[in-house]
Amino acid sequence: MQLLRDILDKQVVDREQVKIGKVDGLVAELRQGKPPRVVAVELGSIALARRLGARPGRWTARLAARLSGKKQARPHRIAWNKVRDIGVDIEFDIDVRRTKILAWQSWLRDHIVGRIPGA
Amino acid sequence: MKKLLEISLGVVTSVGGFLEVGSMATAAQAGALFGFQLIWAIVLGTICIIFLVEMAGRFAAVSHHTIADGIRERFGFNAFLWPLLAVLLVNFLVLSAEIGGVAIAAELATGIGFQWWAFPVAFLAWLLLWKGTFGLIEKGVSMLGLITLCFVVAAVMLKPEWKQVAVGAVPSLPQHDTANYWFMAVSILGASISPYLFMFYSSGAVEDQWDKSYLGTNRAIAGLGMSFGGTISVAVLIVAALVLGAHGVNQVDDYNQLPLMLIPVFGFWGFVLFAASLGIACFGAALEVALQQAYLVAQGFGWTWGEDLKPRDDPGFSLVYTLTLFLAAVPIALGLDPLRLTIFSMALTAASLPLTVVPFLFLLNDERYVGQNRNGVISNAAVIFVIALGFVLAVVAIPLQIFGGT
Repeated sequence: MQLLRDILDKQVVDREQVKIGKVDGLVAELRQGKPPRVVAVELGSIALARRLGARPGRWTARLAARLSGKKQARPHRIAWNKVRDIGVDIEFDIDVRRTKILAWQSWLRDHIVGRIPGA
Repeated sequence: MKKLLEISLGVVTSVGGFLEVGSMATAAQAGALFGFQLIWAIVLGTICIIFLVEMAGRFAAVSHHTIADGIRERFGFNAFLWPLLAVLLVNFLVLSAEIGGVAIAAELATGIGFQWWAFPVAFLAWLLLWKGTFGLIEKGVSMLGLITLCFVVAAVMLKPEWKQVAVGAVPSLPQHDTANYWFMAVSILGASISPYLFMFYSSGAVEDQWDKSYLGTNRAIAGLGMSFGGTISVAVLIVAALVLGAHGVNQVDDYNQLPLMLIPVFGFWGFVLFAASLGIACFGAALEVALQQAYLVAQGFGWTWGEDLKPRDDPGFSLVYTLTLFLAAVPIALGLDPLRLTIFSMALTAASLPLTVVPFLFLLNDERYVGQNRNGVISNAAVIFVIALGFVLAVVAIPLQIFGGT
């Protein structure tokens, strides 16, 4: 398996097959005397912006902090040891409702989309 | 039997997707000014789109990825950003043009100026997407699109010299208005080879849960559906050449000239048929383009998407088509001439082709996605041809826009 080819930019789903996002970044741990090890995947706009460059990354982080609090100034992470299956999608053994990853979609549902009749 | 039904539905759907304001306007303009001479551009565009649609469907059926998913996964986010932005822009202009097309049809029917119709049309389209299912959009609306067959009837009843029609299918050099000739050829190719068409098709294949057993169906739908669509476009061109051109209307620069096309054949009903064809074809296309815009964003960023879900279950997806539709109505409501917008966006579509078609060459030859079903020599040659054509079009579209555009 090649990380950049086979993991990065793949669709991520949770254990209920809910689409969470794409693998926007990978986090590896450097270890003394041993090869690096993947510890987590990153999702969300900050991780994406960082791939375009350091500056867009900083701007997006600052914007996220201003919009939704200091805690949101870092990308969402899912630990690599939660991986359950890698096929068309990557399935993680988590329940997305217990994370903040889709908080903005919930906000949209509660404040905008849900208020339009027929939603 | 079930497959046969599936194929015929698919063919009807692709006719609905193929024929829209762009192909109608460009074919009518070309027919009025150059007679049958530009038929080859429609034929060439149709052959290209058959290959691309077949590949998009095959890719979706075998890999269970849409084209947008595939491009992002295979090339990474930074590369995906370029086709994403290009297609979002082109789709937006095309959507605006389609809304303009429906608005003109409404003006023809009621006499109330087209600007006033932009928002009602956008609202009606939004309502169908908001409440409807994929099946309703795909089958119901495009079934109505069969009304555009009236152009084929008219073309046959006008008894063209079929030998001349056949001569037009072979590319030839213009005797007059050279820049305009090539600009129209570019616009016709842009109208036939629309990225939204093959991207929408791959999303539809995933929505309908296609698998490898659909490969034959896919091939039949792509081949027959796009050929039917192309045939109707050629019919529009023939009618325009025989009616408009023969009555001295060479320069179609006002949409009010267009309904004259069907009157010599059908009398007053020709006017009604024209308005209905324009309205329905553009409305169907507007639905598909708006939906494709939402598909593209949702698939690109990995959100939940699906036209069969309730908007509250895919809020991001629903919000994209909602915003797109209403924003696209703004230029028309401000009175931007829909015909000029159409021709302009078709040329821009042609210029954007390399960005969306180059990925096909990689995706359809990658065993990790398509396994045994990867492209053969002919399909690859077709993709390379479309890419080369796209590059030429991209280079010539802008100067021609300045020198030859209407």
